[in-house]
Amino acid sequence: MSETLLEMRKITKRFPGVLANDEISFDLLKGEVHALVGENGAGKTTLMKILYGLYSPDSGSIHIKGEKISIKNPKEAINCGIGMVHQHFMLVPPFTVLENIIIGEETQRFGILNEEKPAKKIRDLMERNGLIVDMYAKVEDIPVGIQQRVEILKILYRGAEILVFDEPTAVLTPQEAEELFKTFRQMTAQGKGIIFISHKLDEVLEIADRITVIRKGRVVKTLEGKEASKSLIAELMVGKPVLLEVERPDVSPGRVILEVRNLDLKDYRKVAVLNDVSFSVHAGEIYGIAGVEGNGQTELVAVIAEAAPMEHGDILLDGKSVANWDVRRRREAGISHIPEDRHRYGLLLPFSLAENLTLGMHHRKPFVNRFQIINRNKIQEHARRVISIFDIRTPSELTPALALSGGNQQKVIVARELSAEPKLLLAAQPTRGVDIGATEFIHNQLMEAKKDGRAILLVSADLDEVMSLSDRIGVMYKGRIIKEFAREETTKEEIGFYMMGEKEHGRN
Amino acid sequence: MNLSFILFFFVKGLEISAPIAFAALGAVFSERSGVINIALEGIMIVTSFTIVWAAIALHSIWLGLLFAIVAGSLIALIHAVVSVTFRVDQIVSGVAINIFAVGLSRFLSQKVFGQETQTPTNAYLFPRFLGINSMAFLLIPIALIGWFVLYRTVFGLRLRTVGENPEAADTLGLNVYGLRYAGVIISGALCGLSAATLFPSQWISGMTAGRGYIALAAMIFGRWDPVGAVLASLLFGYADTFRIMFETKIPIPGQFVQMFPYVLAVVVLAGMVGKARAPAADGKPYEKGED
Repeated sequence: MSETLLEMRKITKRFPGVLANDEISFDLLKGEVHALVGENGAGKTTLMKILYGLYSPDSGSIHIKGEKISIKNPKEAINCGIGMVHQHFMLVPPFTVLENIIIGEETQRFGILNEEKPAKKIRDLMERNGLIVDMYAKVEDIPVGIQQRVEILKILYRGAEILVFDEPTAVLTPQEAEELFKTFRQMTAQGKGIIFISHKLDEVLEIADRITVIRKGRVVKTLEGKEASKSLIAELMVGKPVLLEVERPDVSPGRVILEVRNLDLKDYRKVAVLNDVSFSVHAGEIYGIAGVEGNGQTELVAVIAEAAPMEHGDILLDGKSVANWDVRRRREAGISHIPEDRHRYGLLLPFSLAENLTLGMHHRKPFVNRFQIINRNKIQEHARRVISIFDIRTPSELTPALALSGGNQQKVIVARELSAEPKLLLAAQPTRGVDIGATEFIHNQLMEAKKDGRAILLVSADLDEVMSLSDRIGVMYKGRIIKEFAREETTKEEIGFYMMGEKEHGRN
Repeated sequence: MNLSFILFFFVKGLEISAPIAFAALGAVFSERSGVINIALEGIMIVTSFTIVWAAIALHSIWLGLLFAIVAGSLIALIHAVVSVTFRVDQIVSGVAINIFAVGLSRFLSQKVFGQETQTPTNAYLFPRFLGINSMAFLLIPIALIGWFVLYRTVFGLRLRTVGENPEAADTLGLNVYGLRYAGVIISGALCGLSAATLFPSQWISGMTAGRGYIALAAMIFGRWDPVGAVLASLLFGYADTFRIMFETKIPIPGQFVQMFPYVLAVVVLAGMVGKARAPAADGKPYEKGED
């Protein structure tokens, strides 16, 4: 029987109004991958923050190798052999890889940095775990997949034996995820234990020895990896059976709605972020953009929806160039936008739902009279109607947006953008950080929009989402659309290759 | 124009640049740790009063310098407490300190010397070298030390980390607040050296004349780098020197000639748009355990 590395017993943590962790017990054995799954807000992250000393639990205890310990801050967690690869990387982009690895754990003499000894140790770690990185490259210059290796090296450098990975594959291509799992295997073979947080159930089933499902702050069940199935886990997560596949309506695409021609854009360093991008989206069609984040998707959406300046090229909506139009004119012409960062660009968080649901139309009748005075009754009436159509769970239309769960906030945005009855909908990461129920709902709404003959440009870092919703798929790599597929004619693996730029030069 | 005149221009320029350069160097440390220190102007007002006061009272310019450094650090400490611990907007805190400093120095001058807008002259001065205040020459070694500390020491690496990504620093067990305090206090202490090179023979209300702000401009132009900030300060300092030495010989109204260094600052900064990158977390208060 293998040794227990970590045991968390009856951990309870309460935030104002929320019981985030309710007597959660969780353990990790030497040499195993233990997956922790649950919906957003189920309490996974809180539990891990307690383990890492970022929060202190209200009650419960943590034991490492049988010894009871208390962890007050990350430093103590590190000293206990706990390492965490956070979902949002904790790296300093302008620093070198080596600097990023040694910060806080530097080798020094009289306060002066020594880089040679650490370099040797890092090289050794790289070889042993198959994590090769150029130590002297700046982090901002290396791709996301490699940055993750830096994060892993960082915790191995500190001698971690318990490694926590929070949604590590969210930013990876399928092939990179495979590489990561190989690294997992190498590390578990050395006797380390891995806690793997994910909501990609295929991956959980592939890699996990055991799976613990939590819902609403409580452990629902811990399963052996062998006895689990996708539908079983999903059901345990949500608390009721879930439909994992989207029903796709049979709609034949109509005329061209959006046409993008030879778009070029450079960033402040004069590096091309969009490079000769051309594609078109038809009425009743979903065009999905696949690609590792940071390959120009954000900029592409900004150029079309937010009238961000571009260097060269043209954008046509329904045959008319909108390239020189401002945002309002574009919206009036029928462009709607679900922005990727809903808090920054999608909502006015302290404002009521009624106000949020009228944004962008607030200056038009019937919401204002001819003196531009707002008619609150009309706004609230509109909001009540939309709230019931889109099944937004809220106490009332006067509730501020910030009081809603992430899934419901996203529904507010989807509702607003679709209720404008656009010709073109730009959906950027429409289900990021949204629970399974809301995801299902949003996917169905996109299908409804497709049925209504709207053109939809879908940008998502979640390849499964792109694959299951799109009619055609364009793969973006370094600012180019390097390949376009009809959905039926490709596989996830093939798209993965293009996402890494493997076939960039026509090697087929 | 003879050789000695040219030499004089060069050393005089160094002397005029030094107060700006020390403050700019301080600004680099503060901003690299993630705290915008617009309070430099106010800190300089207080240190330039303190150095004169302490030198007269204790009959030693060196003790004056010591007190100036302490006073600068203390005012900077206020900025750190307010903006780091209490997370008040750093600009607001800085502006408040600048207003406070004007009042404080006038109040103290009135209390100590019986006159509000200026002190008596102070006879205890730094030794002179090549015809200028010898303290100005300290600029060169201190700039190099500043560069070394920032890029070659553990402290410097950690300081830059909290300025770029305090969350990452926190997860690595670094003391984010402690490091930011250190950055801000270093900037205050360096304003003590600004006072030593500005005009230690007398304090006059308004004598800093916006040099704290010029120092911030120099820091930006110097791309948040110690050596860059000092070189940029020299640019502004020599421009001012040129103005002082040739003002009377140029057929342009004096008011316009006097604008020259400030106009230069504006033009130079306008040219920097999109080229320099501030530390990523500069100006952003950090809350521990934030989600």
